[in-house]
Amino acid sequence: MEIRLSSVLLAALLLSGCGWFHRGDRGPTPIPAEEPQAEPSIIDPQVTRRVVKTPKIKAKDFELGAYFGALSIEDFGTNPIYGARAAYHVTEDIFLEAFLARSKAGTSSLEETFPDISVVSTSGRQFTYYDLDVGYNVLPGEIFLGRGRAFNSALYVTVGLGDVKFAEKDQFALNFGIGERLLITDWLAAHLDVRDHVFESDLFGVTKNVHNIEATVGLTVFY
Amino acid sequence: MLRLLALILMLQAFVVGAAHARETYLELVVTRPYLEMHTGPGRGFPVFYVVGRGETLTVLYSRTDWYRVRAPRGEEGWVRRDDLASTTLASGEPAPIPPYPDFSAHRWEIGAGYGVYNRENLVTAYLDFGFTDALDAELVVQQALGTLDNRNIVTIGLRNTVVPEWKWFSPTIGIGTGYQKISDKVPPAPLESSNELAYASVGARGFITRRFMWRFDWRAYVVFNQLNKSEVLEEWKFGLAVFF
Repeated sequence: MEIRLSSVLLAALLLSGCGWFHRGDRGPTPIPAEEPQAEPSIIDPQVTRRVVKTPKIKAKDFELGAYFGALSIEDFGTNPIYGARAAYHVTEDIFLEAFLARSKAGTSSLEETFPDISVVSTSGRQFTYYDLDVGYNVLPGEIFLGRGRAFNSALYVTVGLGDVKFAEKDQFALNFGIGERLLITDWLAAHLDVRDHVFESDLFGVTKNVHNIEATVGLTVFY
Repeated sequence: MLRLLALILMLQAFVVGAAHARETYLELVVTRPYLEMHTGPGRGFPVFYVVGRGETLTVLYSRTDWYRVRAPRGEEGWVRRDDLASTTLASGEPAPIPPYPDFSAHRWEIGAGYGVYNRENLVTAYLDFGFTDALDAELVVQQALGTLDNRNIVTIGLRNTVVPEWKWFSPTIGIGTGYQKISDKVPPAPLESSNELAYASVGARGFITRRFMWRFDWRAYVVFNQLNKSEVLEEWKFGLAVFF
C-alpha cells in the first residue's frame, strides 16, 4: 500500500518536474495540424479607430460686473459710490457674492455748523468696503416690454458680512440687501440694488449702530 | 506665386477649421416622446417649445441645473438637467452630463463665514484641497475686527474628516500654523505687531445641496511671542462653502 502511494507521489513529482523543464523550452512551437480554413478574407480592414471626442458643456455659473450709485453715509451726507461684484450661482435659488466698493464722505452737519471742527480727517473720508454675501432669488420671473419682448429677471435678497473702512478705521459690518436682476440677454444682466451696511461707530462720542444705505445700478456678465 | 497662393489657401483652411473647431457643441438626440424647453433657467419659467423624439439638440452651455439648448429649427431655450440626462449621443450612448461632485470625495472647496476670534468679530474665507477623502489641506485668510485692534490672520493647516462618508454631519480635527498682524485702533499700541501662531482645531461639516455645504470650526491658537508669557487665543467660526 505504502509502495503504491509513494510510486503515485513519485509519478506526480516527475510529471510536475517535466512540466517545470518544459517551461524553459523556448524551441519552435509545434505547428498545430491545419484546420480546414474558412474562406480567406478578401478585405483586410486597416482602418484605425477614430477617437470621437464629445465636446464638453461649458458651465456659465459665474457673474462678474461693476456698479455705481449713491451711498448715504450716516451723518456725512449722500455721495457717489462705485464698485465691483462677483457671484457664483450654486443652484437656481442660491448664490454667493462678493462686493468691493469705494465712496467718499462729505461733511457732517456738525462740521457744517462749526467749520473749525473736523470730525474726520481728509484721508479718513474715504469709505471703502468689502462684503461676502449669500443671496436667494425670491421672486424669479419674466418682465414684459410691450407685446413681443420678455426679459428673465429675479428679485433677490442678500445678507452678508464684511469690513467697512471709514475714518481710517476698519469696522466689522453686516449688510442686508434687496435687488433686482434683469437679463438683457442670456449673458448680460442689469442690476438694481438697495443695501444697508450696518456697523458700530463712536465718531460723535456715543457708540451707536450706523446705517449706510446705498442704491446702485450695475451691469454684470455671466461666464 | 502659385506656391504663395497655396500657402494662403492652406492657412485660410486652417483658420476656418480652427474657428469651426472652437464652435463645436455637444449634440444630443431626444429619446423620450418629447423634451420641454423653458424660457428661463428656473422651475417656474413656462414651457414654450417641445422637441420631439428623434430630433437633435445642440447644447450651448449650462447654468446651475439648467442647460441652454438650440432646437433643430433654431429655437433656443432652457432644459432641466434631469430631462437632458434622458437624451443620448448620436451613437446611442447616454448623454455625457457630468455628475455632481461626490460630497464625500470632492477635491476643492471654497468658502467664507463669520466667527469670533479672541472676542473680536471675524470675517473668514478659505480654500481647501483634499488629498484623500479624509485628509485636506486648507488655507485660511481672515480679518478680526475688534474695538481695540484689528488683526489679519493667515493660516495653513491639515484637517482630518473622521468619517467622510457621513453626509449631513461629520466631525473634523486639524492642526496648523499661521501668522497674525495686529494693527491697533485705540492706544496703547500692542506690544507686538505681528506673531507666528500654531493651532489645533475641532469642527464639523455637512452637506446642504448640490455643491453647497456648511462648516463649523473651533480653534485654540498658541501665540509665539517674545514677551516671556504664554498666550492662547480661542476662535470659533461658521461658514458656507461650495465644493468642486
